[in-house]
Amino acid sequence: MAQVSASPAAPAALSSHRLRRVRSRVPVWHLLWLLVAAIFFLLPIYSVVQFSLEGTLPGQGVFHWYETVFDDPMFRSTFWLSIQISLETVAVSLLLMVPTVFWIHLRLPRLRPVMDLITILPFVVPPIVLIVGLAPMLRKFSWLIVRPEVLALIYVVFALPFLYRALDAGLRAIDLRTLVEAAESLGSSIPGTLLRVILPNLRAAIIGGSLLTVAISMGEFTVASLLGFFTFPVYTYEIATSTAYEGVALSFISFIFVWAAMLALYLLGSGGRGAAGVAITD
Amino acid sequence: MSTVELRDLRRTFGSVVALDNLDLDIRSGEFVSMLGPSGCGKTTALRIVAGFEWPDSGAVIVDGQDVLGQPANKRNMGMVFQSYSLFPNMTAQQNVEFGLRVRKQSHERRAKRASELLDLVGLASAMSRYPRQLSGGQQQRVALARSLAIEPKVLLLDEPLSALDAKVRVQLREEVRRIQLELGITTLYVTHDQEEALSISDRVAVMSAGRVEQLGTPAQIYSGPRTAFVANFVGTMNKLEGVVMSSEDRVVSCGPIKVIVPDPTFIHAVGENVELYIRPEDVAIELLPVGGSPAPGYFEGRVTSLTFLGPVTRVGLRTDIGALLADVSSAVALNLAADAPVAVQLNASSLRSLDASPESQSAPVS
Amino acid sequence: MALSEIAEAGHRTDVLAGTKPRKQARNRRWAFLGVVPFFAYIAVFLLIPTGKLIVGAFTTTTGAFTFSNIASIFHAPYPAAFEFSVELSALSALWGGIMGFLVANAVLHHGVPRWVRPAYLSFSGMAANFAGIPLAFAFTATLGNLGVVTILLKHLGFNIYPSFSLQGLLGASLVYLFFQFPLMILLMIPVIEGLRKEWREAASNLGATSFGFWRHIGLPVVTPSLLGLMVLLFGNAFSAYATAYALGISNLVTIQIGQFINGNNVFAPQDAYALAFGMIVIIVITIIIYTLLQRRSSRWLK
Repeated sequence: MAQVSASPAAPAALSSHRLRRVRSRVPVWHLLWLLVAAIFFLLPIYSVVQFSLEGTLPGQGVFHWYETVFDDPMFRSTFWLSIQISLETVAVSLLLMVPTVFWIHLRLPRLRPVMDLITILPFVVPPIVLIVGLAPMLRKFSWLIVRPEVLALIYVVFALPFLYRALDAGLRAIDLRTLVEAAESLGSSIPGTLLRVILPNLRAAIIGGSLLTVAISMGEFTVASLLGFFTFPVYTYEIATSTAYEGVALSFISFIFVWAAMLALYLLGSGGRGAAGVAITD
Repeated sequence: MSTVELRDLRRTFGSVVALDNLDLDIRSGEFVSMLGPSGCGKTTALRIVAGFEWPDSGAVIVDGQDVLGQPANKRNMGMVFQSYSLFPNMTAQQNVEFGLRVRKQSHERRAKRASELLDLVGLASAMSRYPRQLSGGQQQRVALARSLAIEPKVLLLDEPLSALDAKVRVQLREEVRRIQLELGITTLYVTHDQEEALSISDRVAVMSAGRVEQLGTPAQIYSGPRTAFVANFVGTMNKLEGVVMSSEDRVVSCGPIKVIVPDPTFIHAVGENVELYIRPEDVAIELLPVGGSPAPGYFEGRVTSLTFLGPVTRVGLRTDIGALLADVSSAVALNLAADAPVAVQLNASSLRSLDASPESQSAPVS
Repeated sequence: MALSEIAEAGHRTDVLAGTKPRKQARNRRWAFLGVVPFFAYIAVFLLIPTGKLIVGAFTTTTGAFTFSNIASIFHAPYPAAFEFSVELSALSALWGGIMGFLVANAVLHHGVPRWVRPAYLSFSGMAANFAGIPLAFAFTATLGNLGVVTILLKHLGFNIYPSFSLQGLLGASLVYLFFQFPLMILLMIPVIEGLRKEWREAASNLGATSFGFWRHIGLPVVTPSLLGLMVLLFGNAFSAYATAYALGISNLVTIQIGQFINGNNVFAPQDAYALAFGMIVIIVITIIIYTLLQRRSSRWLK
């Protein structure tokens, strides 16, 4: 039998208040790990900011390196190029994926295991491996290989798993077949239903998938540099190898960009699920 | 064996009052159920006893000692959860042994105790199975054995049968009661199922809005509900609205019908509007011959619905005093059809008047 | 990561598969036409290139079957590159896995302030995606020769150079940790959430401390997932290219492969094919291990 200590019971109200506070107190090691993580994450960011404000000559402003970078026409042109490629990637991805995933859910559910398998493939065949097989193929299309749009066509593959996952989850959340049948009974055609009924219901999934796609395409370096395109990450690399300060300033700009995209994604996702989307490491 | 006293427990979640100065005494070896709708605070109260929650004020006194100062793992109380509480990585036997393992008991003693308890719950043959290989009912049996293995002072059960099929539920609740009686363990049982509470408890505490509306034996609760809430929550009640005609003789007129309230404590002024309650089994009906009129003491009604409930059939009636439900033997009900005229009689000795407010019902029980 | 979802998807039952009237059956014969564009695209940009490099790994330039390409992987400098790739990936997966697990667990503790969870999760979502060129230069600014932290430590009397370098195993794994660690936090959170509240409470009720719960129930239940996700992190680091390239690490498989490519030209393609094939083999092995571990853990965490 458990023996209760004989200490006189304190006034109940007081002791239970104290207890509740004791109970909800986080163990020290939890706080320690949170602190370690915070330091590990924030130290590089702090250093980047600090570093990018250093190395200026007398008379130059604190934000000299940022000014230099923003004044560089190459900054604007490469940033714009990367944005263009990202938007093209999103456009092609959506055009390809939305009808396909919709159709698979509606008429070909047996294909879903196949889709699951295909969405692992970009992980099995990372960009550096894919390009080994793809570059010699692209050579045969000399009109295509010189155009930066080719990057968008390739990035579609990298974005595939994330977009598929977002769309698949979005479609699973709605009773697709009932919606389609209801629309059909009211006289809507299948494309009309897709456009007017399904797409509005998939808005969150589409925006979320698109944001991830933008983040992936904006940061992609491997394929862009190996195929010889001067995108924003390639430009960042080139600048950084000549002027470290400018390169670090550019890194900070990329950081803010990715953060904005992920924050938007997080705010979009219900209670943080959206933030779980993670790109294949480049 | 242990006694448990809940003293003046108060717990609020923001502006929601989960426990409103709850008091409840459980005698040694007694089986007490806390019965109430979801959100009435019964689970919160149980979890405070177990040590998973803390009250804002009040005390939980076990054998004369306030246990709120002890963490859950020192209280020595066995708890059975609603479902899925078995450790998935352990066999039934390992689950049952867990409390003893934590208490550093020898291998032999643990094994012996585990097999005794699995025997007690009728699962000796399943001791080496994992939870996922057991049915829901079997899992709850193992959970019961596990909580008993530590020889707890008090057994706490938090809706342990609510996730099970109806048939298993009835079978298992009888077993819970058998084991409880066999071990004589003080038990606090939480449920929202009135039939369950009434069938296995020594006493039932009907709860509403964080307080005990009525505490009593199942018979007291069923046949003598003290508040409208208890009357409506436990079993089915007909409600009659009436006007007091005579204060001394306790005569109430419900439309054209006059009734006498048997309760001598019924004191209301003439002309006051009152509500009277009567259970469907206390409403008798007889088929009226075509064109016939009801005998004295009866009034006329018409059948609006028939719900077969096995041995009895619940008959919906339209009468001059409003809609009524009457339970009749299903054999009798065979002669009834919708819209059939019937003669209705109220068993006057079962009529009761109830106050809606629980404040006036604070008279001590037992 | 797509993979964590994929294992789940494997068990999924088809909600939509149902009996359908005859009209639908007739339609189904032509229904596949709807997915032709997608599969054509995947074939052109994923399947055919992959097939081509796998075939290329086993054929000579004239198309004859050979093992000599594969054999060349086993000659310098490739074995060292594979070795360093594996070491770096394993170390960063180990660090990231353990730290991610601990932090995910801390973030989910009911007692931490309310802002902690969204702050850590959104930051993790960002950091897990913040790989590549900017990451490498961020760490150069932090722990490079002239990095802010390096200089700070120097002022404090700790001169980490020349024994430390961002190109070495320790330095590079720290850089990789910046995306591995948050990735693990994100992947580990659903796993820890899978530990039911009832298990903790039952353990506590039966007399176990928090430590006892983790030792007897928590860790045994999450270990397969923990290992599985660490395998996933390994694969994630193993295929990284841009970060390592910007850091100036040369003896990694991915960097070795990159050296064969220039624009649309692949030099010594047979060697590149063989190396790429070697990478695929290793990643497939990690995925198989991951799937097996995931299958084991899903037994408990359903």
